[in-house]
Amino acid sequence: MGANIYRNKKPALVFLLPAFLFMIVFLYYPFIKNILNSFMEIKRLGVAGTKFNSPWYSNYVEMFQDPNVGTSIKNTLLMMLVTLIGQVGIAIVLALMVDNIGRGKGFFRTVFFFPIVISATALGLMFNLIFLYDKGMVNQILETLGKQNLTDWKAEGIALFTMMLPVMWQYVGFYFVILVTGLNNISDELYEAAKIDGATALQRVRYISIPLLHNVICTCSVLAVTGALKVFDLPWVMFPKGMPLKSTFLTGTYMYYHTMETKNVDYGAAIAVLIVVLGIVLAKVVNSIFREKDY
Amino acid sequence: MMKKRLMATVLAGAMVLSVTACGDKGGNEASTQPAADNTQSSAADTGSEAAPEAEAPAEPTGPVELVVTTTFAGEDTNAQNYKDAVAAWEAETGNTIIDTSASSDETFKTRVTTDFETGSEPDVLFYFSGVDSNSFIEAGKVVSIDEIRAVYPEYASNMDDGRIADSLVDGKKYAVPANGYWEAMFFNTEILEEAGVSKPGPDYTMDQFKADCEKIKAAGYTPIAAALGNIPHYWWEFMIYNNQSPATHLEIPASIDDANGQAWVSGMNDIKELYELGYFPENTLSATDDETVAMFTEGKAAFLIDGSWKVGGIVGACQSDPEDPSTLDADKLAKFDVTYVPGKGDRKATDLIGGISSGYFITRKAWDDPEKQAAAVDFVEHMTSDEVMVKFVEHTASALKNAPAVDESQFNALQIKAMEMMAGATSLTGAVQDLFAGDCRISTFDGMPEIVTGRVTAEEAVAEGLDTYHNQ
Repeated sequence: MGANIYRNKKPALVFLLPAFLFMIVFLYYPFIKNILNSFMEIKRLGVAGTKFNSPWYSNYVEMFQDPNVGTSIKNTLLMMLVTLIGQVGIAIVLALMVDNIGRGKGFFRTVFFFPIVISATALGLMFNLIFLYDKGMVNQILETLGKQNLTDWKAEGIALFTMMLPVMWQYVGFYFVILVTGLNNISDELYEAAKIDGATALQRVRYISIPLLHNVICTCSVLAVTGALKVFDLPWVMFPKGMPLKSTFLTGTYMYYHTMETKNVDYGAAIAVLIVVLGIVLAKVVNSIFREKDY
Repeated sequence: MMKKRLMATVLAGAMVLSVTACGDKGGNEASTQPAADNTQSSAADTGSEAAPEAEAPAEPTGPVELVVTTTFAGEDTNAQNYKDAVAAWEAETGNTIIDTSASSDETFKTRVTTDFETGSEPDVLFYFSGVDSNSFIEAGKVVSIDEIRAVYPEYASNMDDGRIADSLVDGKKYAVPANGYWEAMFFNTEILEEAGVSKPGPDYTMDQFKADCEKIKAAGYTPIAAALGNIPHYWWEFMIYNNQSPATHLEIPASIDDANGQAWVSGMNDIKELYELGYFPENTLSATDDETVAMFTEGKAAFLIDGSWKVGGIVGACQSDPEDPSTLDADKLAKFDVTYVPGKGDRKATDLIGGISSGYFITRKAWDDPEKQAAAVDFVEHMTSDEVMVKFVEHTASALKNAPAVDESQFNALQIKAMEMMAGATSLTGAVQDLFAGDCRISTFDGMPEIVTGRVTAEEAVAEGLDTYHNQ
């Protein structure tokens, strides 16, 4: 009779209920409300829509005709690519190198992880100074090296690079720590056996480390791609309002621009719906590409 | 076994209790909230009705914390005066000010509007009394001066009511003004001398200005310090004004086809011409206003159109410690001067943009709080008293009944030049952008880079803005 207490699932449901209610109130209700808002006419924050747009789907029609939506989707996809190659790729290289050194692993782990704990806003302000046109750190270095003219690192052609570099740099350490942990889980015996069989260091990485890290890399890739959809603060601090010439908008910053700056709240809601759809589609694609293997 | 069952029962009981407790709290809040709302709405209703009857002032029970937002921050001329005045009031009353002031820009305006719309407005606000305040006045979130005077008859009694702006929403007066403002053109005398350009005077024209810019550019300097991708406001205002007259400047065009509409289009095209001539900084589309102002104060750009509040910023840039006036480098400051924005057509250079466009609002939230009401009133009375105002007004206008006695011996060189410049003004007209606020400005403010680079025509941008304005 005593063991029945473990078969009774009702207490577990009681414990799950608060979290479930929390999700309903703070996630699913706003989500459904947001979809509804995207069809309403709302031109001020904090004010409920009282009538539907005419036609009710006009925001979605506008979205297809808005060149900035195209720019922000293109930039977001580019951000994902940069995130995958720049963040996960560099993290793999760093993790493999650190894993091969005898001492100082903890030191490098701390050093590479450190940017994660700094607020993105503070980082944005710091990189604003680094890339400042007049007397910025990069331009001063270039001037010392003999460059005559100042480079506008926020000019239209180069702005995306300037925006994505700090984003990439900030999160390398996050994936680095995950990958190092994955490497630590690989048995040393495998490496020793390979060494005895005459495998070079590069071959050990190619045939032992990378294959056994496959699932960790998949997890990192999914995190990186979905994380890229949510990047907002650092790009907004460095390039507010899609500056210059609205060329640096991401889907998140463009939604914020319309909701908070132009007060076109219903259009912002429609862009938010687009972001969710984009997120679901991309998550599906990424999950099918980076499918984890069973060993 | 018994212990485990007991433990499970205790845990489940604790969980249920905590949920119940949460529910109770929520329930209480839910039950009290409507009452609070009712009180608020009834108070708001009272406020919106004519001539409220005199009530007894609310009595606080102890020191009060007031949240105050103003534009006296950053490089504003009065930023330090504001800090000093706040410190003096805190010392005198024992109350505390939580200051959330910030430099005035579109982001600040968005923050203020959002704070009101989300119910997190400050207790006292120094803000624009034109169209920018319409949304929170419409929502009944600030208290009119008449309503305050019904309880505090001496409130703002040192002000000339005729010079206090009426709300565009209901014609009532809400904001007690502090100092006025003017907009003009600062210049660097050293750059002008090097480029062989004489000091611009009251008869300065756009043609002369362009010729001077060409010489300055040839001398290796940037003629105009302006961030068109960030703060095109001053150039927007004056270039439109240059195609109008003081009599017509404050008229919003019905469309781009009428005379004013054409003037607006011409104004945008005038900025485009200056951009194409290469007179703005190379990074004008990607720079922030702070960056281009720094170009000016560091002697890399010759002209800067800005407001009276920038006098303090320029003086601060000439001090080794921006907070300490005793560290002023007088020789550096002597290189800066201020003159009239070049004129064109029916607008003489001496026809300035300026007036009194801001003031102290007391929010409904503070007014309905018995702990804060008296403190908020006292704070505004202190900040707008003749003694405090004398420091704020300096070279600008005020709404005081008795003009403050200004001690010129306390002024620095740039302040004296500003007073001389103001003495020669032939007219002072408000900024039309204060009437044309909100979404309608986006196509020509945020869209200025597209206009000057030719991606959007001036006609398209102005027409879009006017359509938005007339559909609001």
